[in-house]
Amino acid sequence: MSGASVNRVVIVGRDIALWLSAATLSRALAPSGVSVVAVELPTRLTPAHVSAALPPLEALHAKLKIDEGALIRATGGSFSFGQNFVDTAQRAPSFFHAWGSCGASIDGEQFLPCWLRAKRQGLTLPLESFSPTAVAAKNGRMLLPDDQTVAFGRTDYGYHLPSLAYAGYLKALTASLSVAMHETRNVDVERVGGNASAIVLDDGKRIEGDLFLDASGEDALLIGGALGVAWESWRAHFGVDRVLTARAPTFTSVPPFAEIRADAQGWTALHPSLAVTGIVRAFMSASGDDESATQAASRAAGAPLVDIAIRSVDPGLRSSAWQGNCVAIGAAACALDPIHDADLQVLQLGLVHLLSLFPVSVRCDAERAEYNRLMRSHCARIRDFQAAFYVLARFEGAFWSDARARALPAELAHKVDTFRARALIAPMEDETFSPDSWRQLFVGLGMAPDSWGPTIDGIAPQRLQAQIRSILDFITTKVREQPTHQAYLDDLRGAGA
Amino acid sequence: MGGDKPLRIVIVGGGTAGWMSAAALRHRLRAEDYSVTLIESDDIGTVGVGEATLPHIKLFNDMLGLDEAHFMRETRATFKLGIEFRDWDKAGEGYIHPFGAFGEPWGGVEFQHHWLRAKLAGYAVDPLQDYSYAVVAARNNKFEFPNGDKSSIRSTYSYAYHFDAGLYAAFLRAWATERGVRRIEGQVSQIERNGETGDIAELLLKSGERIAGDLFIDCSGFRSLLLSGVLGVGWQDWTHWLPCDRAYAAPCKRAGALTPYTRATARKAGWMWRIPLQHRVGNGYVFSSKFISDDDARAALLGCLENPALAEPRLLRFSPGRRVASWSANCIAIGLASGFLEPLESTSIFLVQAAVTDLIDLMPKPDAARVDPRLSAEFNRLTEMQYDRVRDFLVLHYFANGRVGEPLWDYVRTMPLPDTLMHKLELFRSRAVLPNYQFGLFARDSWLSVLVGQGVMPERYDRLADAFALEATEEKLNDFRDRVSWNVEAMSTQADFIANYCGAVDMMTEEAVA
Repeated sequence: MSGASVNRVVIVGRDIALWLSAATLSRALAPSGVSVVAVELPTRLTPAHVSAALPPLEALHAKLKIDEGALIRATGGSFSFGQNFVDTAQRAPSFFHAWGSCGASIDGEQFLPCWLRAKRQGLTLPLESFSPTAVAAKNGRMLLPDDQTVAFGRTDYGYHLPSLAYAGYLKALTASLSVAMHETRNVDVERVGGNASAIVLDDGKRIEGDLFLDASGEDALLIGGALGVAWESWRAHFGVDRVLTARAPTFTSVPPFAEIRADAQGWTALHPSLAVTGIVRAFMSASGDDESATQAASRAAGAPLVDIAIRSVDPGLRSSAWQGNCVAIGAAACALDPIHDADLQVLQLGLVHLLSLFPVSVRCDAERAEYNRLMRSHCARIRDFQAAFYVLARFEGAFWSDARARALPAELAHKVDTFRARALIAPMEDETFSPDSWRQLFVGLGMAPDSWGPTIDGIAPQRLQAQIRSILDFITTKVREQPTHQAYLDDLRGAGA
Repeated sequence: MGGDKPLRIVIVGGGTAGWMSAAALRHRLRAEDYSVTLIESDDIGTVGVGEATLPHIKLFNDMLGLDEAHFMRETRATFKLGIEFRDWDKAGEGYIHPFGAFGEPWGGVEFQHHWLRAKLAGYAVDPLQDYSYAVVAARNNKFEFPNGDKSSIRSTYSYAYHFDAGLYAAFLRAWATERGVRRIEGQVSQIERNGETGDIAELLLKSGERIAGDLFIDCSGFRSLLLSGVLGVGWQDWTHWLPCDRAYAAPCKRAGALTPYTRATARKAGWMWRIPLQHRVGNGYVFSSKFISDDDARAALLGCLENPALAEPRLLRFSPGRRVASWSANCIAIGLASGFLEPLESTSIFLVQAAVTDLIDLMPKPDAARVDPRLSAEFNRLTEMQYDRVRDFLVLHYFANGRVGEPLWDYVRTMPLPDTLMHKLELFRSRAVLPNYQFGLFARDSWLSVLVGQGVMPERYDRLADAFALEATEEKLNDFRDRVSWNVEAMSTQADFIANYCGAVDMMTEEAVA
């Protein structure tokens, strides 16, 4: 059935984007006669890079038949239940953004307005106290799902995977599939009309293909360099233009979450794992040089840093991720601000949608249009979540004043308005972050809604109090049953020995 | 508003929309915070003749705590598993749009890809319709409640009702007035606004009575007395996509078995509905006045009835489209006052239900000085999304027709489509991708049924389906089809089921049981 079909896929790129793409496409489409060639550019990773992954990655790994224990063992990775946001000046209260559920409905009503009302009645506990995963994580514990927790809500987790090891793991996996692999320092792209026709490597080797994937990151060698597809900057919303990466010593007991420490000049993230603690520092060149950023990162990490590298970043979106027969995947299609660890999510979204729209013939205008529409929409919703963090943040200093003054995308402005007015998250298509995530973000940043829905007032005060108490008791009991993250990791390692 | 509890909600109009709104608001809002008054006039008719619904209505009734059998008896209701469309693509052919799934996904790949793959490879697969439990049950006039066990093939559908909309409104009226909704019989003669804010302040009735309120719900039907009449909110017209603008409606006695589905039959200048209730059948001819005269439409309807009409056919006039905003100032339009989409997919009551549900979430609090425009903005965004998505689905039925040589049908087959619909069609034609959105009607299986039912066939399928050997796919298809037919065989008929569960009429004589 695939007559004049698209059967030869050539992926040009490096590191995780390259290998995750090659493995995913080959695994899913080999039965349909699709062959995959991976052209590997030199790595940009250092031992300091830690890939922080959101919960959906687990499902992609499952499709690739990646065993979680084996992955953790091979990479020295660890689990992450969310992000803890801390003000190093200790003015704004810290808050935890858990990937899992936060609160459970009371008499069919959403939890958040119930919590707001209970606060009015004197409750002093923060929202995160009602998230089983947040409480477990802050106590250094896992939250392993059972029937009761499933009934309560999601206990999603992501990973912190040391990037070099993760890329190596995926490369080995790719090699075990029938993927042809080549290395080169540069590529030339041969074109016919608006399409790429072949890739030429350093050694003159020429690789023809029907469909080309650009996994070369910000370089965007094919989509930008060869095809000249424009870049839409999100600079109006994001001030961060320099990002430092480094590594710090490991924790003796690895925390199962990331911590973001904000100071006057930017923020520093700690991504703990068994093998390494990855440090990311985001700042603006206009308000601080590389030297002071390095010092700030070291101060925030509380340890000397090594393998320090600093690069410029330009958040934005490729105006068409799929142009002609070339599909940009990962950072070549969309570069996010480094807050919220969503880079792998963009890569995964690109792959998942490419699989479901993979060309059935060379005429694929509808698929291309749909792919571009979907990627634009999904990326814009992630952008909104990130922009909300900056525009609403209450931290002090030049960096944050600048952030607060930046523009809100229209959809975000609507979401903020709806939340401020009624404590509701306006439902929109193509969200990466759940309504629970939005609520935790908005509340964590100090937004106080002007009202809640009228049906909340129908719950009797004693009933509300009793339900709140029972949720807290449930969480306390469940968290006590859990192994510590460190013990869980030790067990996983032991199991492989 | 303005801090004086309770906030006074005044509903203008007492049809289905008015009484659904009144019942839901009264049930969900505290009496100490909100009062609910509904003004209706026995002199103004409502539109409902027989009404077909979507499965969501059960959520609404359950929310109110209605007893299903009691409600069905009171409204002469029957069960509905879908809609049969006849003669839309080819004369003499039809399909059912079921409230249920087609097949099941295998290996994470949607069913239609497996079915298409086997079909394109030359295997003798059966028509898509045979792989839907709800379709096969409907075709055999069967009904039973869906099974709660999600692994059972008997869980792969849901159901709605056909009922007498006038009786449903009356049923809800009794329910709501018993629970504290104040009903005022009367006609609105004048509407007064607050000179400062422009908000609606007071209604003057013909009787001379004055009804002051804080929040007004316009359920006045097509006239849109408050939202359009007083506040002047504009109209977005969709006649160029949905040319039908009139309908004749007439009930008759049923002939033949009690079918668990609505029927929509395409005709020269529109289409005819057939809605089987317990005690009679509701019929109507929705037509475009550009393509047929009223008299000819009336005659056509009468000529197609299975039994003589029980009443003189009533003419309804409408224009398809929606208000630019359903909530303006302190007035919210619900039902036909907010927009009109022809009853082709039984969406009117769902749109009422969605609006009431959203309104409760976004309801101004009693202590608010005025309506917070941020609340109405969200309400309007949600309402707009609902209408626009239903619109595309309806337009598809007209566009994908095979009635060559009939002027109305030639026009709609060649008219420029909404971009959003054009894109959906291209994707499906190319490779059987179905529209997939999280909010609003309709889900993928609905699109699939109409697209394939009206002859839009994809050229190819998702290549991920190639992961199975073709023989394995064929075996799975056959196994699924067989499971459907065995299970349907064991079901009871709709007539028997209703007689046992909620019969209000003797099915043999069709006389109402006292």
